[in-house]
Amino acid sequence: MTPQHHKDRVIIIGGGIQGCAAAYFLAKRGQTVTLLEKDNIARHASGVNAGGVRRLGRDLAEIPLSLAAMDIWNHLSDEIGDAAMAFHPSFYVKVAIDEPGHIAGMARAEALQQAGFQHEVWLDETEIRKRIPCLARNISAKNMAGGEISGGLVVEGDGWAIPWRIVRGFADAAVRNGATITEHCHVESLKRQNNMWQIHTNAGDFEADIVVNCAGAWAADLARQSGEPDLPLTAYAPMLAVTERRPQILNAVMGILGHTLSLKQLDTGQFVIGGGVRADADIHQNEAGLSIPELATSMYRAAQLFPDIAHAKIIRCWSGIEGYMPDNLPVIGRGNQDGLVHGFGFSAHGFQLGPAVGEALADLVMGQQPRTSLAAFSPQRFSA
Amino acid sequence: MNAALHYDLIIIGAGPAGMSAAIYASKNDMTVLVLDDQPAGGGQVYRHVMQNAAAQNKAQFLGSDYWSGHKLADEFTRSSASLWPESRVWQITKEREVFFSQKGKAHRAQAGAILIATGAMERPMPITGWTLPGVMTIGAAQTMLKTSHSGVDGALFVGSGPLFYLTIWQYLNAGFDIKAVIDTAPGKMSLLHYFWALPALLQPSMLIKGLKWRSEIRRKTHYISGATAVSISGDSQAEALSFTDASGKQHRLEAEHIFLHQGVVPSINLTMATELEHRWCPRQLCWHPKTDIFGESSVQQIFVAGDGMGIAGAAAAISSGKIAAMRITAKARGTSSLNAVFQMVRQVQKMAIRPFLDYAFKPADEWLVPHDENAIICRCESLTKADITKAITLGVSGPNQLKSFSRAGMGRCQGRMCGLTIQKMITDHNSQSDDKTGYYRLRPPIRPLTVGELAALADDTPTS
Ligand SMILES: Cc1cc2nc3c(=O)[nH]c(=O)nc-3n(C[C@H](O)[C@H](O)[C@H](O)COP(=O)(O)OP(=O)(O)OC[C@H]3O[C@@H](n4cnc5c(N)ncnc54)[C@H](O)[C@@H]3O)c2cc1C
Repeated sequence: MTPQHHKDRVIIIGGGIQGCAAAYFLAKRGQTVTLLEKDNIARHASGVNAGGVRRLGRDLAEIPLSLAAMDIWNHLSDEIGDAAMAFHPSFYVKVAIDEPGHIAGMARAEALQQAGFQHEVWLDETEIRKRIPCLARNISAKNMAGGEISGGLVVEGDGWAIPWRIVRGFADAAVRNGATITEHCHVESLKRQNNMWQIHTNAGDFEADIVVNCAGAWAADLARQSGEPDLPLTAYAPMLAVTERRPQILNAVMGILGHTLSLKQLDTGQFVIGGGVRADADIHQNEAGLSIPELATSMYRAAQLFPDIAHAKIIRCWSGIEGYMPDNLPVIGRGNQDGLVHGFGFSAHGFQLGPAVGEALADLVMGQQPRTSLAAFSPQRFSA
Repeated sequence: MNAALHYDLIIIGAGPAGMSAAIYASKNDMTVLVLDDQPAGGGQVYRHVMQNAAAQNKAQFLGSDYWSGHKLADEFTRSSASLWPESRVWQITKEREVFFSQKGKAHRAQAGAILIATGAMERPMPITGWTLPGVMTIGAAQTMLKTSHSGVDGALFVGSGPLFYLTIWQYLNAGFDIKAVIDTAPGKMSLLHYFWALPALLQPSMLIKGLKWRSEIRRKTHYISGATAVSISGDSQAEALSFTDASGKQHRLEAEHIFLHQGVVPSINLTMATELEHRWCPRQLCWHPKTDIFGESSVQQIFVAGDGMGIAGAAAAISSGKIAAMRITAKARGTSSLNAVFQMVRQVQKMAIRPFLDYAFKPADEWLVPHDENAIICRCESLTKADITKAITLGVSGPNQLKSFSRAGMGRCQGRMCGLTIQKMITDHNSQSDDKTGYYRLRPPIRPLTVGELAALADDTPTS
């Protein structure tokens, strides 16, 4: 390929949900924006995640951003048109099946009330059973005391989405608004010179006033290479399994308080099971590991809640490369150098946040005040 | 979690390659575990041979080739190798852990070396109507013949290849009535065929056998060669088959049972899911795992033998299984592998006929990708050729991206039925090489396993 030279005001690196949402909001506001993606749009975490659109259980610091995102999710067709049909709102429940879970759930509900948040509430066992009639009567517990469902935390309106379609939706909407998206374009180096960013890729060189770093698990390497201080980002590969089609029994997305499980049933009847289990990831080889035996605990939990799931055949397992921060909070904010904005490190819960993060990144690029405070996500929070 | 089992050698697949490897290795004091999803050893070609031999009424109609497998299966049964039948292997790791389910329970076993001998599967033949009830593969028809001596009268046989003729011959022997045989192999031989027929003369018995089957089939059935534009019609069940013969004449034959065949290809789900390196074989139009001369793959101590490394037939499989076992044993002992090299010399002769067969029965393009836009390609998700074409024109570089665009290959069969067709469609559309297009990225479990089976591996201690 002959080296080309492009000049743009804003260049976004990374075609995951954060990059595509940022491209959309910037283009919508009339900015000249180009997004560069080394593979395909939504090839990594954003396209293969569990699709959980969840406010439930968010860190207090993340709740305002998550609520802002939900506003956008609830009117998503205004932004991305028909692709918004890939979002299926219902409700999210995390049930307590033992005493520690029960205590933690009650305490959480209390803390949220005090902080002034109303979206997440505690429902008792009868209420939960009314909403999810197929839930097991007795939780068979190999070795746990209790084994009774005593209630759970619920958020109305949370749900699930087909992640790949949503990200494509943002990408297509960005292009419709004038953004340029270039796939198979790997940013190899990034340098600030004469108040401009010089961006070198395998498919030509680019120049921009502002760079937005949405490079997911690869973002800290890119930041370091550009001259930013080290950021403690680690890559892992969270894993998921999907079963064959089964009769519809579950209309909520479910988890268990104090245990790792994420369980949902798609409109196809297939169950998607995972939650918290992760294999190794190699960002240099683009490789996400997979170790099925480690998914055993999630399977065990899913079958505890719905014994019938034990008979479902698992037809596929997969994983995706995700970047984690030590405090499990993302990095969203301006870098140390001029004209650099970061948005990465979503620690396995960044899909739901995507629309609001895109909007916040657009605000930062344009020097506007973001809708919610980003103080907790400052890139500088790790420098002593 | 059950305590892990430990063996010097774990063999996956108890066909000719797996059985001969097990015999050699166990004779040489290796501890050997053989896993197969069938109830007994034999594989596809000698399926049910032990049971048939024990039965009163011997199924002589299966022919002497089939019965020659009895000796091997018998020796295998007597060997000290332990066979776990009805075991479905769903993951092996590069660290040589083997995970499998047997009778609803998951197990874990550790191996010093692994031999993958999972054989071949029939190449899908996606023509209009191939998903209708009443349409089966030749392999399925043959399995019924071997396991229950059952078949149907009045069936149509459509396709070509050695297994095609053999099965029809067995069908005739068993006394079933055949409505017609519609041969899709090109009627005439090209210069290339004659060239490759020369080394094939090293295996005269094979050539003679093939000619004998074919002449008997011509004599005893309504036989039509050089068929093209084949399609099956029917509402809820196969009713008729239409095609054009070599002279351009159109035919329509009514039948409720139609058996299709277009040759066999290596079963690569396990080798691919284990991330062994593969290469595209343009002569056989399928993927082969890359191995050294002994069958050792790109991952140390993981070997491949038999048709799973490239289609070569039962005799060659017996030999390649033995070669792999000799090498594995020699490596474990630190002794020389010279015996394996000698075995290889004999192996060459057993494969002499292969290039000729590959060229003579290479499926024409129309059997790889249907002409009909409405023909189903991905059975699990009910996607037609038109659906796939639409997704490809959105600009995909390979089958994996197509998954997200169309859901093709995301069903229960994990792409076994549509993978090669979709690969070819992308290759043709993008005018690129098959190596560039690549295949589905296969990931474990390569056999469906239930949530309950996997849950049984869960640690007893609750996590938080
Ligand atoms: C299995 C799994 C399940 C999950 N489940 C959920 C869930 O249910 N709910 C939820 O909210 N979140 C979930 N997540 C987390 C969520 O998917 C991520 O937080 C989110 O997608 C991160 O988006 P991103 O755009 O930052 O990253 P990515 O999607 O990884 O995008 C980054 C992109 O940058 C590109 N890139 C990197 N370096 C370069 C370079 N040098 N040049 C060009 N391009 C480059 C990469 O190729 C990549 O496409 C899950 C994640 C996984 C893996």
